[in-house]
Amino acid sequence: MKLLTHEIGSLAKPPWLVKTSAGTPLGESDVEHARNWGERLGVDGYEELVETLQRGDPDKAELGHWASRYALRLLESAGIEVVYDGEQQRTEMYAWAVDHSNGFEPRGTVRSFDNKYYSKSAVTGEPSLREPYHNDEFQFLQSVANHDLKIPVTGAYTIAVWSYDEHYGPQTGRIGAGHGRNEELAARREFANDLARDVIRPNLESLIDLGAKWIQIDEPGASTEADELDIFVESFNESVEGLDCFFSTHLCFSDYDLFFPAIEQMHGCKQFCVGFANYDSRELGTSGADRPGYEVISKFRDLPYEPILGLGVLDIHTDFVESPELVRDRILYATEVFGDPERIHVCPDCGLRTRSWEVAYEKLTSMVEGTKLAEQALSTAGAAT
Amino acid sequence: MQAFAPGIYPRSEQLVQATRDLDRGRTSAEAVDEQVERDLAELVSVQQQAGLDLLTDGMLRWQDLFRPLLEAGEGLETGALTRFLDTNTFYRAPHDTTAAPTLSAPLDERYVAPLPGPRLVTLPSPFALSQGTGVSPLTIAENVLKPALETIDAELVVLSEPFFGRHDEPSPRDLEAPLAALGGGPKLALQLTFCDARKPLEQGLSELPVDAIGIDFYGTHLADVPKGFDKLLLAGVIDARSSALEDPRELAQFADRLRNDREVEQIALVPNGDLQFVSGRIAGEKLTRLGQAKTATVEAAA
Repeated sequence: MKLLTHEIGSLAKPPWLVKTSAGTPLGESDVEHARNWGERLGVDGYEELVETLQRGDPDKAELGHWASRYALRLLESAGIEVVYDGEQQRTEMYAWAVDHSNGFEPRGTVRSFDNKYYSKSAVTGEPSLREPYHNDEFQFLQSVANHDLKIPVTGAYTIAVWSYDEHYGPQTGRIGAGHGRNEELAARREFANDLARDVIRPNLESLIDLGAKWIQIDEPGASTEADELDIFVESFNESVEGLDCFFSTHLCFSDYDLFFPAIEQMHGCKQFCVGFANYDSRELGTSGADRPGYEVISKFRDLPYEPILGLGVLDIHTDFVESPELVRDRILYATEVFGDPERIHVCPDCGLRTRSWEVAYEKLTSMVEGTKLAEQALSTAGAAT
Repeated sequence: MQAFAPGIYPRSEQLVQATRDLDRGRTSAEAVDEQVERDLAELVSVQQQAGLDLLTDGMLRWQDLFRPLLEAGEGLETGALTRFLDTNTFYRAPHDTTAAPTLSAPLDERYVAPLPGPRLVTLPSPFALSQGTGVSPLTIAENVLKPALETIDAELVVLSEPFFGRHDEPSPRDLEAPLAALGGGPKLALQLTFCDARKPLEQGLSELPVDAIGIDFYGTHLADVPKGFDKLLLAGVIDARSSALEDPRELAQFADRLRNDREVEQIALVPNGDLQFVSGRIAGEKLTRLGQAKTATVEAAA
């Protein structure tokens, strides 16, 4: 019995990358960070990075490559089987996409939650791809990864719903006009489909040409508007239809019931990677009552095209480290509901960029250990029957 | 005609950076406090220059609409990170640990900052604060919000209500007792943010025991306002979720239509919800235009 583990996307950027990008002088602790993690993770040639940092003349692009190597090794060292680089070379999942596309203008910083923020842009014209914006990092990672790669790509609907609209919808005469949802829906549909066709799909085609086997379409904004789920599905299908690759999508921090029945039409999606741990109990147990955060998973099981469920088992919003036993029980509950362990993969709820590397590493290691415990339990149960 | 801006105001790019740095251990709480004070001074200045009638402190330290009350309360705590309506901003949903939570300490100056003039304060409505908990809005009103109100010195307290208008069958009667329980102190407004208020208005929203009602006019049709509306109407004419800047003349013309077509006598021009959904730079420009709209309306009437 084997359960595949993979990561979801972002990791925190190391301080030596953040400070260099911001033009802030490095301190001894930053150099130590590079030295300690280089040793701990077995990053080939990390001494070269340490020397570069000590000299104080690092090249920003080269530091990005180093950060990718470190993040890759962090995930591989934790035992994750399908990896990427924690998006070390990207500014942020939304900003990276719109900054490499035509038709957007920046509009400042908006709060995501607490002291977390994101840069938000407005669409001011028809969007188009300026250049394929994941090729360089993917080619680099192909050259250094020891494990299989899964490329996270921000999806069309999320880009659309996270942008201000200064182009598609009516711009004047809105006050007190009772503009119904129909007008807003039509505008969003056009925007999302334009993005899917003219920005996302060309990116995917380019990555596939370079040898991509698994691409994850990140759609954390998918359920933002309950009555736009069909637009999310339509834009996903527009992005991937007819392309030869394993496509998954990532959903998080939503009322997942909203996705049904709309995603019954997402036939091109081979896996839904979904965050559940955020809603779950921290107590052990494998019954439905023990696992309230996972109540909805039977709906994913019953989808007609039988996708895999990427089971989120790590709450990425807390430093609490899930024990291997808690991870095990979450997996065992899911495999019981699905009745087919091959339709379960194991992953964090979302990218771990809001956690320190120390916490992220502990969580991921525990996830891998818990997955092994679940495999043992399933094997034992299988042998008994 | 008045104009003011209830709700959570965006942090400046400097405060954004300071709070990010605080989370990463790169700055001190004192340095963040100093930047909050600079943000507050700038916000007061923008409001004064715009000629707004009531000042707000922008709730710059509030992590979301509920957090300080949960932290100051007994029997309520922060729950799961939850999407705020249809935005990409999240809040910690209130979670109850007892059937009768209480407020153990009043909101201090960190959360209701002193201001140099007549002011408003924004709090969650009892209905909003009770959402997702097993506690009734009346209990929330009596045990949590009422004690908070008793320590607040303000010309107007705006009770922000983002959820009620989105219910399939919103019944304003459900709000009567909780709102009545909050009476006897400062003037109260119930603001339905970011929604079409047609159904609540049809069901008697304007009859609720508050001094003012707030309506989002990017979701609500002008004709849905009952003729002769006899309370102060907080007219949400600034779209707090749009980066597009409003034309003050269009806002003033709309205020005229409220007066002439719907016979509303008391109007305050406001954003349709928290301005934190746009950046600080855009929010500042929107406040300026809010003030210009008020001035244009007053001049036209004269």
